[in-house]
Amino acid sequence: MAYVSVSGFFKGFQGYMVQQLIDNTAQIHIQARQDYLIDHELDQAFYHQDFMHVFWSPPPSGLLGYLEVQNPQSWFVRLAADQRVEAFSPLMTAPSLFTLAKTSVSANLIGCDPVQQARVTSIAKYMTEGKFADIAGGGNRVILGDELMKRLGASIDQTVLVTVGTLTAVPMKVVGRFFSGNRGSDLQAYGAINDVQRMNGTPNRVNEIAVRLKDYTQAALIADSWSLIAPEKIESWDQQNVNILSMMKMQTALRFTMIFAILLVAGFGIYNVLNMTVTQKRQDIAILRSMGYDTFDIVSLFFSQGMIVGVVGAFFGLICGYFFCRYLQTISFYPPNSSRMGETLHIALSAPIYVQATLFALLAASVASILPSRSAGKLTPIEIIRTGT
Amino acid sequence: MGIIAKNIGKKVGDPEVRILTDISFEVQDGDFVSLTGKSGSGKSTLLYILSSLDSPSEGSVQISGNDLGRMESEELYRFRNQQMGFVFQFHYLIAELTVLENVLMPTMKLNRQIELKPYAESLLEQFGLKDKMNRFPRQLSGGEEQRAAIARALIMKPKYLFADEPTGSLDSANGEKVMEIIQDANQKQGTTVILVTHDKDFASLAKKQIRLIDGKVADQSSS
Repeated sequence: MAYVSVSGFFKGFQGYMVQQLIDNTAQIHIQARQDYLIDHELDQAFYHQDFMHVFWSPPPSGLLGYLEVQNPQSWFVRLAADQRVEAFSPLMTAPSLFTLAKTSVSANLIGCDPVQQARVTSIAKYMTEGKFADIAGGGNRVILGDELMKRLGASIDQTVLVTVGTLTAVPMKVVGRFFSGNRGSDLQAYGAINDVQRMNGTPNRVNEIAVRLKDYTQAALIADSWSLIAPEKIESWDQQNVNILSMMKMQTALRFTMIFAILLVAGFGIYNVLNMTVTQKRQDIAILRSMGYDTFDIVSLFFSQGMIVGVVGAFFGLICGYFFCRYLQTISFYPPNSSRMGETLHIALSAPIYVQATLFALLAASVASILPSRSAGKLTPIEIIRTGT
Repeated sequence: MGIIAKNIGKKVGDPEVRILTDISFEVQDGDFVSLTGKSGSGKSTLLYILSSLDSPSEGSVQISGNDLGRMESEELYRFRNQQMGFVFQFHYLIAELTVLENVLMPTMKLNRQIELKPYAESLLEQFGLKDKMNRFPRQLSGGEEQRAAIARALIMKPKYLFADEPTGSLDSANGEKVMEIIQDANQKQGTTVILVTHDKDFASLAKKQIRLIDGKVADQSSS
């Protein structure tokens, strides 16, 4: 029961987290590469081979690379032809200043094709007002995240001024609001890609391509293979969330530690019961030995008793664990800063948990049964019959 | 072939205490032998050595031509299961099993319980326990429990029956019934019986009597 409950809780939580990670953002991000400039990286560019050592004062610094994806059209062709790709969405993200009356808030304005973006991420599901498709076709319409909306004090149908870089402010009409539950995501805004490209002064350019795969578990492998043939920075969802995934690994280690402790206690329980039984059944063992039952017969008898305890315990444990998990699934919780109601604990009920629980229970029962069974097998009838105990 | 005991000695404990000294005798197939003597004379120890439950410190025991000390353990257990029956002072019936199941216990070693079930029922009928065969041991009287234990000892139709004070915990009426059954097994089935008893009357039922004093054979007599 404990194994099923603990595993269901942890795996359910981890499954929910992974689902959030792969649904809320792209599974593979193809971004313009911008690397930090390191010392002496420009030596050859300036002095070719005619130097022993270049002394910079001060050394060069800044970013090296491009602001946009190079040759995005070739990427579109490649992605459209790749059977492993479910959907992709070109993006132009621009750091912007949103102004309403005297309030200004800086946030990212993401330009996208709403139809393609809705196929790549779950953004359309998070709309609380308006529809995500409302920004299709341009026309200076914008969808604001809940947090950005609150900070600006804006509401639907109002017009906000959006300034991209040092360019002139552009009035944009608020046509929708979304709430993902993640404060960082909710401090962003979405507009039509052609609007954002025009405001940024980079028509037909994109600085990211978001990709959704048919099998998200292959993301890292595919991202690595693409990295070999393209100058862009390509990262999978798991490569971008290494910290969260390493935390999950810690959780898994913790789960197995807890399960080991539980199995140890259960094993000692079976061991004690069987040991007591061997003590209580000394006379029966003695008479069985006098009837010709050998050591193997006696060990088998007690070992099978231990295994019956294990099997029956596992059976009832699985049933109790299942119903406990179903009960946990009904418990509501409200994430911090969440206005969404009706969220319940995410508990995994997958078959492998139950198979593992059964195997672990049988393993613990068999290990715990061996010692008492062996001690029963070693008892000689003569001492017991003589003493009567 | 019978049982041949040659120069049997037994020492136990640390420091060693000698219990049996240089005991030799022969028991023919179909004999009824009683081992008598005072408490501590070594008669139970001798019975356990003859029946392979214990091993001698010196000497040897041959049963049906087999030297017990040289038999492989698997062979010995099989021999014990098929050729030997035991009755002790206490019945040692398994509390969780019915009387019939207890009687059938020796047959389960070789999965012969179905084959020998009719015989178990006939034994219980013969011992006046037919209507109690589905009861548990705690529902029987002391005499009935001991009769059930004898039925269990005889279920495999053993060649040898070893009985250690089988009437020791019974009243005289039940004790006589038990002895009748043991005598019947000897006379009607030809089972060789080795009986340890304090009771002189029961000992006198045996064809051959061996009396022990301080672990030595004091005298042997045949009737």
